[in-house]
Parts: sequence; structure tokens; C-alpha cells
Amino acid sequence: MSRDGWRKKASEDDGWGGRGGYMAAKISKLEEQFQKDAPREKQKDGTSSCIFSGVAIYVNGYTDPSADELRRLMMLHGGQFHLYYTRSKTTHIIATNLPNSKIQELKGEKVVRPEWITDSIKAGCQLSYVQYQLYAKQKSLNFTSICARGKQDLSSTNDPFKPNPSHPQSDSIKNGSCSIIEEDAERPRVNGIHDGDDDDACALLPRGSQDTSLTNGYVHPVNGALKPQDSFAEHSPHVVDIGSHQSHLPQTESRDREEPSCSSAGSKSNFHQRSLISTASPAKQPGLHSMQKDLHPKPTSNPGTSAAPQKGNLHDQTRVRLNGSYHMTPNSSNLADSSHQPGRSGKGAEAGVISEFFSHSRLHHISTWRNEFSEYVNALQSRRRAAGGAVFSGKEKLKKLKANCSSGSLMAAPQVRQSCILHVDMDCFFVSVGIRHRPDLIGKPVAVTSNRGPGRVAQRPGSNPQLEFQYYQRKQKQYRKEVPSNGVDLDLAALSMAEIASCSYEARQAGVRNGMFFGRAKQLCPDLQSVPYDFQAYKEVALSMYETLASYTHNIEALSCDEALVDATNLLVELGVTPDDLARAIREDIKEKTGCSASVGMGSNILLARMATRKAKPNGQYFLRSEEVDDFIRDQPVSSLPGVGRSMSSKLTSLRVSTCGDLQQLSISRLQREFGPRTGQMLFRFCRGLYDRPVRSEKERKSVSAEMNYNIRFTQVEEAETFLTNLSMEVQKRLEGAGLRGRRITLKVMVRKPGAPVEPAKYGGHGICDNFARSVSLAQPTDSGQLIAAEAIKLFHAMKLDVKDMRGVGLQVQQLEGSHADPSGQGPSRGRSIKDLLLAKQPAHSPKKDPLAPQGWSSVIRTGVTPPSSPPSTSSDPMPGTSKGGLHHPHTLNHVRTCLNVSIEVPSPSQVDQSVLEALPVDIRKQVEQSWRHREEQPSTSSHLSTPPRTSSSPPPGPSLGTLVLQLPNQLGQPCTTGFILELPDFSQVDPDVFAALPRELQEELCSAYRNKGNTQAHVQAQSSAENVQCPSSSSTDVPETLSKFNPRPVPTLAGAYEFSDIRTLLREWVTTISEPMEEDILQVVKFCTELVEDKDLEKLYLVIKYMKRLMQQSSESVWSMAFDFILDNVQVVVQQTYGSTLKIT
Amino acid sequence: MAALTRQDLNFGQVAADILCEFLEVAIHLILYVREIYPSGIFQKRKKYNVPVQMSCHPELNQYIQDTLHCVKPLIEKNEAEKVVVVIMDKEHHPVERFVFEISQPPLLSISSETLLSHVEQLLRAMILKISVCDAVLDNNPSGCTFTVLVHTREAATRNMEKVQVIKDFPWIVADEQEVHMEEAKLIPLKTMTSDILKMQLYVEERTQKT
Repeated sequence: MSRDGWRKKASEDDGWGGRGGYMAAKISKLEEQFQKDAPREKQKDGTSSCIFSGVAIYVNGYTDPSADELRRLMMLHGGQFHLYYTRSKTTHIIATNLPNSKIQELKGEKVVRPEWITDSIKAGCQLSYVQYQLYAKQKSLNFTSICARGKQDLSSTNDPFKPNPSHPQSDSIKNGSCSIIEEDAERPRVNGIHDGDDDDACALLPRGSQDTSLTNGYVHPVNGALKPQDSFAEHSPHVVDIGSHQSHLPQTESRDREEPSCSSAGSKSNFHQRSLISTASPAKQPGLHSMQKDLHPKPTSNPGTSAAPQKGNLHDQTRVRLNGSYHMTPNSSNLADSSHQPGRSGKGAEAGVISEFFSHSRLHHISTWRNEFSEYVNALQSRRRAAGGAVFSGKEKLKKLKANCSSGSLMAAPQVRQSCILHVDMDCFFVSVGIRHRPDLIGKPVAVTSNRGPGRVAQRPGSNPQLEFQYYQRKQKQYRKEVPSNGVDLDLAALSMAEIASCSYEARQAGVRNGMFFGRAKQLCPDLQSVPYDFQAYKEVALSMYETLASYTHNIEALSCDEALVDATNLLVELGVTPDDLARAIREDIKEKTGCSASVGMGSNILLARMATRKAKPNGQYFLRSEEVDDFIRDQPVSSLPGVGRSMSSKLTSLRVSTCGDLQQLSISRLQREFGPRTGQMLFRFCRGLYDRPVRSEKERKSVSAEMNYNIRFTQVEEAETFLTNLSMEVQKRLEGAGLRGRRITLKVMVRKPGAPVEPAKYGGHGICDNFARSVSLAQPTDSGQLIAAEAIKLFHAMKLDVKDMRGVGLQVQQLEGSHADPSGQGPSRGRSIKDLLLAKQPAHSPKKDPLAPQGWSSVIRTGVTPPSSPPSTSSDPMPGTSKGGLHHPHTLNHVRTCLNVSIEVPSPSQVDQSVLEALPVDIRKQVEQSWRHREEQPSTSSHLSTPPRTSSSPPPGPSLGTLVLQLPNQLGQPCTTGFILELPDFSQVDPDVFAALPRELQEELCSAYRNKGNTQAHVQAQSSAENVQCPSSSSTDVPETLSKFNPRPVPTLAGAYEFSDIRTLLREWVTTISEPMEEDILQVVKFCTELVEDKDLEKLYLVIKYMKRLMQQSSESVWSMAFDFILDNVQVVVQQTYGSTLKIT
Repeated sequence: MAALTRQDLNFGQVAADILCEFLEVAIHLILYVREIYPSGIFQKRKKYNVPVQMSCHPELNQYIQDTLHCVKPLIEKNEAEKVVVVIMDKEHHPVERFVFEISQPPLLSISSETLLSHVEQLLRAMILKISVCDAVLDNNPSGCTFTVLVHTREAATRNMEKVQVIKDFPWIVADEQEVHMEEAKLIPLKTMTSDILKMQLYVEERTQKT
């Protein structure tokens, strides 16, 4: 088989753009960082010296100690560490072995083994490097023997892959002959990613937030310039210069794709693949074969000039990888391994990758600060509660001040008890923090950005920024007639795409905006100064701002790291000061403590306070009095309303609405027609300054998610699956962190829009994408990453996407519940018996007026015997309390079933034929045994649940026993008594002996269950459970395998109703008895409809929808038809997603 | 009577037999109801105890039979996700798609003696729905043709290409044009769930047929 996939083609334009701009800036910054870190290191370590002064090392490839360690050592001992090799400045190259081409290239340089450094330090002085020279005589080396022994599977066309079987220590010269220089695996760390320095933003940020992408800009656009393959190509001896770019594109021929090498050409991810695999491979030896090596057995065509940049390139490659996935290991890859398992792992294949990624994404950090500060405020409050009061230093001060003042004047502030909200917002937070200690920058246009170069980069091959630019322009034009023509130039491509996180007011005057690309901003405002990120300082300042606020009151809601809402209503009454006084005091306090200015807006509700802040800025305060509200708000642009983003304001513009005053002219029905019932109402209220949300110090989370739309380039389905698995683990971590479990999983995927350039303008960015989302509801809430992953992968397959076009993946978990035991019995709690539950349940099901009342949803069934591995089962099926006298609504709690199966269906050990058990697959056997163990621990709950086998021939009882039925014998006017029955086998099949052996109470339960069974029989269809598959009698081989994989889903029920007639009754009662539907109920109906779609029961869905339409549109209340529209909209979305077309509703 | 277990019967085969028989009836009926062919070539027959229309044009019948014959192995292996009867206008743009979406029932078992009559009852309901579907559909333009598409699960297509069940009756990957319909409206007709078969039938109809 020919492996010409290894050949890389020379790319004429590797986009590197020379060293003048980006590289120079980068190197100087790295040096700066190094200098900055050095004292810190010295302090930390204590032992420092200057033995290496004048020495500047460059580490090439794997070394022991690592490059990271060497960097530290150089810091400690007065040396210099160069991340990039510069012939003029670097004095020594540290390496343990180098490939031939490198050796030739570096002829005349001092290539030294790392022991030189360690030994020098030991000796306390700089030793002569001569005896540590790596290759005393550098000459051309002979590869052949190794090649021959090496990879047979690498065909002859790509000879030079060199395995390095020996150990690092032993592999000095002899070994060096066959190994490779360039593994710069350690490099990234050295780069300071670890230290959280600014340059390599790990950019994985929530989509949509502007500043997320900010940091990315720095590294990527530039090293975007070089993709791994480019540099390969440069070195490649087999230069094939046809369609060099072809190889970058995912659309390489399938044959090529199968080869790891070539897929690497397509994406960095494969690059990972190689290195990742190598970590896994038992060949621990740090022999450094990165592929590049292999590709340069001969000197490169442009040796002299390109040497340094090449290296740069290579480092950058690593960096790039790093940005996506952090763990790098020496590329000790055994090529054989990787070629045998192509695609086994992809980008993000290593378990830690995603979490590392997140943990290094600093913007991600900032976005989590809000939660942190919320928690901070919560903690303050609970502490106060515990202490029975707290000292509010700020408040006391103000009180004193007030006392002084009022002694002078008799005018006390009016004691009107009117609610007053303060919105405290720091003025261009990032900038003012950044220039706190830079008085020279005050008053100058300043932008916080990661870019420090001249703001230009070269264009990468494969990308087409113009096209993307035009696309976004067109998109804007859809709404707006006039195109913002502020100097759009086609040169744009060459500008730095590092975004501006924040810019000072001076810069804003020049037209610079937050989120603008730095290159562009620099054009607008040539004096623009850039300030690097300083995350530590942001945190400090933010914290002290919150502390300041907390010294007045604890009624604080954290909005973000630099803005907060304060409910000052009580405070003002207590102090008797005016809001302006309070605001002034707070601002002074903040200015004093943080050195940064804050603006305060005040109003009677949150909305008005926020709008007042706009007016207050910069560095001011504004109190929007209630009598001024109408005039004030009329002139506000609609875009200042919360929730009105770009697309909505474009839409509003098309309705010729630009100010809130215009918006007030529109009727609520018009708004609701245009924007949907909820948004319409929201807008209607907002433009009148109405907003009734109170200041909440604690926000309930609606969803937990993790998303990555940076640097997603899969080549194989397996990579995507692995990635999803890892992403699920990240979600799990977050769920655990929040103590939540979710019931609904949504997979969001960004897919390259057909026709969009394969490589977006922004390096590693997602470019122009279509967004797809699919969700699935789980039977029970979960926080298990594995479960989430399994579902996500199913969803992923259902979407049938081309993995190569995937540009972003997100997982969201909704419908959250606390995972902690809930003392009220509503939450899952371990170790409760069904009987306990029964008792606890009884009061919970008193008759209710509203058949869909939300409290009805919360009944929870717990089994005490859940194996620890499976998540606790909860069910929240609503009870239709108003159902007619004799009508029972049996609830088939299908999801409970899965949990119970383990314990219920497994007969006690004595009943099981050992041979049958042995015949079971290992994992099932383990499960069975585990459940026995559990049973021993909890004999009271589980053993009596074991029901007799259905047929005597198969010792493990039939799976259909697993269904648990919750029954509600519901007499009108009386509190209901709830009862649980298992779905029972025919009474005739019950073995009397077994029955007799049951505990008495259980016997009674069973008896009554059989009595009740008559009523429910019609509804309860024999349903098998997933365990069907596990039943040995059914595991015969002639059943097609696909059958056994099938996992039945629970039948969708609405408030427990399953039959259409019941549903109809329920809906009719809901619509006719209630004048205004509750949101929860509507959502429940939507959920039911969604489940019907998922259950592929469109017919029923159609009937339900048509019935609702009839009912709700007939209803006199207009809210009902709105509710219907809402439900229909949602259902249509789901149907659209599933079937690609919408229901025809006539 | 002891319940039949999986060993006794090859479920896939039983389900596929029943389903293909039904599909044949359904396709004929659709062609009749949607007036793809002149009504003169149809004869009234009785199936599932209800009157149905069946074409007596030998070539058409052969085509339908051959098609289903090839579909059957897929259904047996549960590899067919949908069987779609696409009705196309003169320009070969689909105007209607009758989609039989096949999935596995929650429980595969043949345990009840009433199985066949029960299944028959469900299939009958579906046939009846088809025969009245013109009530909910707009009229088709004249000169329509039809074709049968199969949506397979996973890699079943590859096998189909390799193994020709009937010689000279190969399957080809459908044109995007035939599969994709713009601004389609979905009209669910019937859903059935039996012990051996779960299937739903819906029609996707182009909003503007003319």
C-alpha cells in the first residue's frame, strides 16, 4: 500500500508573513514575560545565582529535564531562555538528539545536552559546554537499518520514519543518529500557558458573548498563518506542488483520509492524534519523532534564511494544538501505532483536554466570576443570618456623615418609601484596571487586547476573509438598508483579528468599539495604545468593588465582574438619605479602594436603573425619578433595552422603530405577532419602563452547558464521539459543581455553511455556520457524564452530519433539579423504601384545583435499592386530580422501571441456576451480583420485591415484571390514597410458596394490587424493559443483533394520561376551567408534544394539536390563543428539526 | 398456548413479510388515490377485509414487486428507516412524499394469539387512512410520476450496492432533488404500534403544487 499521504506539498504561501511583525512582537513579549517571571521564581525558590548570565538557551526537542524546567532553571540562574531560536541571540541549543537535517543546519552552533545546565548548577559555575556537546562530529547519519527494522507499514515512499526504541539516557549519540529534533512538545508550557499569561488565549468561550473571542485573536490569526502541514511542506523533500492546498482541506480523497499522516494535513486535530496516541503507546521512550523530522532527511531548500522561522512555525504548531487541547506530550509516537489506529483519538481525544481547555480559558474564567460573586454575596448573607446581624461599615460611615450634615441643615431627605435600585457599573472596566498604575495612559485612547503587534497578519491559505466579510455584510443588509460604510477595505484580511475587549472613552470617540478587531481599530485610531490583559487585577478590583457594596447592604445581585445591582430601598429609608447621596458615597468609596471609577444609575426598577447608568456614564451618576421616566424612556434607543440584541433591533428598525417612544406606538398584539407572545409582551412592558423582576441575590440556574466552537476540526466520526464524551465529562463536572442534575440534553452543533470557505478568516474559528440543535429528554435527571455522552452521541448520529464540516459543538443540560437529598421528600434521596415513600406521598396528593398544577408534578418515587452507579430515579408525573370519579389514571413510570429492574427482577441468589448465571455476559453478571449485594444491605426493601418467575423454564423472571405502576384510586372530595403496584404477573402464575414467603405487609400490598389491577389492566400493556435483552433465554443468536440494541423509550404521557381520550379530557378541563394558563402547564404540554415527535407518534400529536387549536382558539380569553401559538411554534420547531418540514395545521 | 419465543420465529422475517405485503397494497392504493395512473388500470380487490384498488398493469406491478423484494432484506435486518413513495411533477420535483417510517416496537414478542388479527386491524386502519387522504391533500398537477425511496440506517446502502437481490434491478442513491422538498408541510396520517411493528405514515406535501 502506498503511503504517499506522508508527502506534504510545498505551499507557496505559508502565510507566515515574515518575522517582522507578529513574531518580533511575540518574541519580545516572551522575553518580557521571562524577565517578569524571573524574580518571582527566584523568590519562590530561594536558590539563585548568576552562573548563566550571558547564556541564552533554546531548547530543541525533548529534553530531560524538560524545557519547562530548564526555563525555570535559567530564570533562577541568570540565564535567558528563548522560545524561538535566533541565530544572533541564542547562545546554546539544548537537545538530547537531533535529526540529521537539523544537525546539518545547526552546524557550527553549540548544541549541548541538558546535563550541561544541571551539572553547571550542581557545580555552582558555568562548566565548559564542550564535553556536553551533543554531536562532537556532526556528520550525516545512516538511517537505513532502522528504517528497515522500523515500520514496515510505512511504505517505501516515505522512508524516513525513525522509531526510537532506546531510552533517553542511553540514546546519546548512537541513537541520536536516528532520531529527530523537533519535538517541541514541551514548548507550549514554556510559552507560559501554564502561568496564565496573556498570549495564548484558550478560546473556548460561550458563543455569542462578544468578549469571548477577544483573546483568541492574538495567537491564532497569526499562527493561523501556518498550519502544521505548511511547515511540513516546507521541509518536505517530496515536494509535490500541485494543489498544495488541497491537502488542507477536509475533502481529501478518502484513501488519504485513512492515513493518519494525511489527515493531519487536514487538521491539527490529527496532529493531536499522533501525539496523543503516542502518550498512550507503551513506548515511553522520549525519542522524539515528530513527523516533521521524518520529513527532513535532507536539508531544506532554503536553509539559511528559513531556519528560524521554521522553528517558529513548528512551535506555533504546537501552540496551536495547545490552544485546542492542552496536554502535550513528547511526540514519541510510534508511527506504527498511530497508523494502525487512525482516528482513534482526535482533537480533544485525551480525557483531560476539554477540562484543561476550559480551565485555561481565561475568558471563561471571567464569565464564571458572576457566579462566584453571586456566591460571595450569598455567603455574606448567610453569614449575617448566622451572626444575627452584620456590620455595614459603609453604611455606618454614611450614617455619621448624614448625622453631621443634618445637624447643620434641618432638611432631611424625604422619607418616601419608594423602591430604589442602584445599578453600579465600572467604567470601561478592563481599561481602567489596566491603566490603574499607568498614569501616562490616562486620557489617551487605550484598548485592552491581546495583540501587541502592528495589527497586521498575513492571510492564511484556505481562508477567504472577504467572502466571510461579505456574508456578514449581507446578513446585516437583510435588515438594514444602509450598510455601515465606515471604511470597509478589502485589506481587512491582513489586519489583526485580535479583538478589543474594552476600550477607553477616548478611543470610543475615535470610533473604536468593544469587540472590534484590533487591526481595524488601529486604522481608525492610529494612536491607540494597547494594554495587555491582567486577569489577576481584574479579579482583585472586582472583589473590592463587591466588598465595597457589601459594606452598605447585602441586597446585591451580581451581574458580572464589573456590574452589580443593589436594592437600596430599605437602606435609604433607614438612613434617610437621598439616592444621590448614597450613590455618591458608593462611588467615592469604590474610587478610593480600587482606583477605578464607577457609574451609578438609579431608578425604581432594574430596567430603569440600568438605563440611567447609560446616562450616568462615564464616571457619573443619574437618578431617574419616577416622574421623569416617561420623558426619559421615550428618547432611549430600543437597543438599550435588555434583550434587544442586534437581530432584534434590526427587525425593529425594519418596523421603523428606533426609540422606545416609537415602540410605545405599537400595540401589544402587533408586538406579539412579530416577536412571539413572550418577547412581545416583554417589549411592550420594557418600552414603558415596566419591569418587575426584583433584585435577586441568588439566581436559579436554568441550564448547565459546555460549548466549544473554536478549533473544531474532526476528520473522523470517532473523533467527534470522543470529543462528545469529553465534553460530557466537562458538563458532568459543572453539574456536580452546581449540585444539579438535568433531565434534558441538547446537542448544539455548528456546521460549516455549504459554500463557506473551509478555513475561516479567524484562525481556528468557526466561520460561517449553520446551527443545529437537537434535544432529548431523559427518563430521569442525571449528572453522569457517561449517560450524557451516550445520549449526545445518539443525537449526534441522528443529525447525520459530515464531521469534517463541524465547527462547534455544545452540550446543554436543562430541566435541572438539585441532586442533593431533599428533606421534603420531593428530591431524590437515597435509601428510602417504597413504603416510606408511600407514607410520605399521601399528603402530597390532595385534590387540586388545577389538573396540571405544578405542585402535582413533583411526586417522586425512589427506590432504596438503586445501585450506586445509576443515578437516582425520580419521577415527576403529575396527577390529574380532577379526573372523574371512577376514572383511574394509571401512571406507567417507565423510567423508574429501568432503575428498579436491577433489584426487582433479579431473584435471590438461591433461586438462580448457577449455570445460567455463568452464561450471562460478564457485565450483566456483575450487575446481578451487585444487586444481590445491595439486597443484603437492604433486605427490607429489595428482597420482598422479587417477584416469582413468570415461567418456570427461565429462572430469571420475565422482564415485564419490572414495570412499576403508580395508581391513584381517586375518590372525589377525599384525599387520595396512593398505591404502588408492580406490574404483576397473572395471579395464576404466582407461585403460592413464594407468595407465602413474602412479608405480611407485602402480601397485603400484593393482594390489593391484584384487586386494583382489574382497573388498570386495560391501560397497562405488557411492556418489556431494556432488561429484556439481558434475559438469557432471549439472548439467542438468531435474533438479529439490531433488535437487541433497541432500547424502548417510555410512552409519552401528559399528566399521566396516555390514551388520546384521556388527554382530550385533560386538555378540555384545563382550557375550560382555567382562565389563564400557567407557564409550567404550557411547557408541560410542549414537552409532551415534543415527546410525541420523538416517539414517532405524529398522528397523536396531530390530533392533540388540532384539538387544542379548536379548544384554545374558541376560548374567550386571548391568552389561550396566545398559549396555543406558543405551543404550536415550539412543536413546529421540533417537527422541523426532526422531519425537515412543518405540520400543516388547517 | 405457550407463548412463542424469539427462537421459534425469526422476527425480522415475519415483520418484513407482513410489512412488505402491506406496502404493496399501500403503494397501489396511493397510486390510485393520488391519480398517478388512469383509474382504468386499477381493479377493486379485497385486502385486510376492506376494498382496495390494485393496478393490473403488469409492468407497474412488476416494478412494485421488485422494489419491495429488494426492500425486504433491509426490513428484516431493521435497516430500513423509511420507505417513501415520492410523487413528482413533470419536472421531477417532488410534490408529495408518502413516508412510511418504520421503527421497532417497544416490545418484540409474539405472545398473543390475537396477534395477526390485531396487526391486521391496524394495517386496515392505515389503508383506510390512505384511501381518504385526498381529503387532506391538495390536488396534484397532471403528469405526475412516482418513485420509491428507501432511507436506510447506517451503512446498509453499501451492502445494497454490493448485493443485488434481483438481477438488473439495482438501487441507486437518490437525487437530492428527489429527496428534498422545499417548504414542505407535514400531514400525519396514521401511527400504529403493534407487537411486531411500529410504523407511522405521514405525507409531506409541497406548499405550492402548481
